[in-house]
Amino acid sequence: MSKKNFFLFFLLIVVSLVLMTYQSKKGHFSSGNHLNNLLNKTSWAVKSFTDALENPFRKIALRDADNQRLRKEIEALRLEREKTQEVMLENKRLREFLQLRENQENYVATARIISRGMSHWANTLVIDKGTKDGVLKDMSVITPKGLAGKIISSAGSYSTMLSLTDINFSAAVRFQESRTEGIISGTGNRKCILKYIPYNEEVKPGDIIITSGLDSFFPAGIPVGSVSSVDSKGSGGYFQYIEVIPFQDDSKIEEVVIVK
Amino acid sequence: MKYLLWAILIISSFVLQARLSILGVSPDLSILLVYYAGIKYGEKKGMLTGVLIGALEDSMSLSIFGPNLLSKGIIGFFSALFVTGSLFRWTPFLGMIAVLFLTFLDNSIVFLSLSLFDKAPAAISNALFISLMQSILNAPAGILIRPKDAD
Repeated sequence: MSKKNFFLFFLLIVVSLVLMTYQSKKGHFSSGNHLNNLLNKTSWAVKSFTDALENPFRKIALRDADNQRLRKEIEALRLEREKTQEVMLENKRLREFLQLRENQENYVATARIISRGMSHWANTLVIDKGTKDGVLKDMSVITPKGLAGKIISSAGSYSTMLSLTDINFSAAVRFQESRTEGIISGTGNRKCILKYIPYNEEVKPGDIIITSGLDSFFPAGIPVGSVSSVDSKGSGGYFQYIEVIPFQDDSKIEEVVIVK
Repeated sequence: MKYLLWAILIISSFVLQARLSILGVSPDLSILLVYYAGIKYGEKKGMLTGVLIGALEDSMSLSIFGPNLLSKGIIGFFSALFVTGSLFRWTPFLGMIAVLFLTFLDNSIVFLSLSLFDKAPAAISNALFISLMQSILNAPAGILIRPKDAD
């Protein structure tokens, strides 16, 4: 290894550490929205292109099935049934979204998920609506099942939402029955943690959590999830350890509604 | 032409890794590009490619600027040393181990940098799972990416 290369390597480490130390004291540098925008547009173009490629192949597959009459008929009937089921499911989903839109006074936009966020560590999703559609940072993201997350950045035609299960997510919530307030936080995996519930509160698995609206970010009354397990034996700290499973599984989201 | 090809490769890797997912973990294709640059062009160009790709990733992430720049720079530098240096002679198996190790190293550097200078991006158990999964997903590419003078 030459001295020059070693010096460059050393310089890289020093510059990176200085950059990060500076930002940890003075705050983050502005993010590259333009780069993200370019990447999102490319993602959209790739998705359209692959869809356009897949459709003719589906048709070819159907034509091949024509050669074997009996099989073709069974196949065609099966395909038809699946399509109808798909349409029925889509119809049901859209009806739910319509209902949700009518029920939400602070409705902003309905959006589709187009990809996962760039960071491997964060549970973020990219949606196809941005500032042009009125979507702004800190707006709430919901589905007919319940709270899905919040908008953390927004550019022209795209926005990034932070999922409910991300470790950096938190929201003010309350129990639907007892009305006890707490804070729900993501853990980075499928479950969330409900914090600040004292030991004298009776909590049992299955109890439903809704948003309280007290954090002035999320509208009150949005279903969040149900309690899956409770450690109320006082194994440590002043509060109960409560795990919550969100109603909306973020790996199954296709469409979302953004509300103020 | 060469730079255009690299630009296309980098954008494609970003787009692809945002669309692929196994058990909720996406493969880190940009590491493979840095590894390729390291074993093909040597430690200096490998490091500079890593710095460039890392800087792009940092600009697009929502956290501080620097962790990916540092980790990818180190990966570019080490991939040249690890595989084509005087320490080892490249074999498909060593290539696989190198990618596995370097992917894990990259994730560890990013995780540590974020934990030290910003916020821990995930619980340690989760970070370990993601890092291991990404390393395993990336490892087979080490068989295919070989230095110029490999048999």
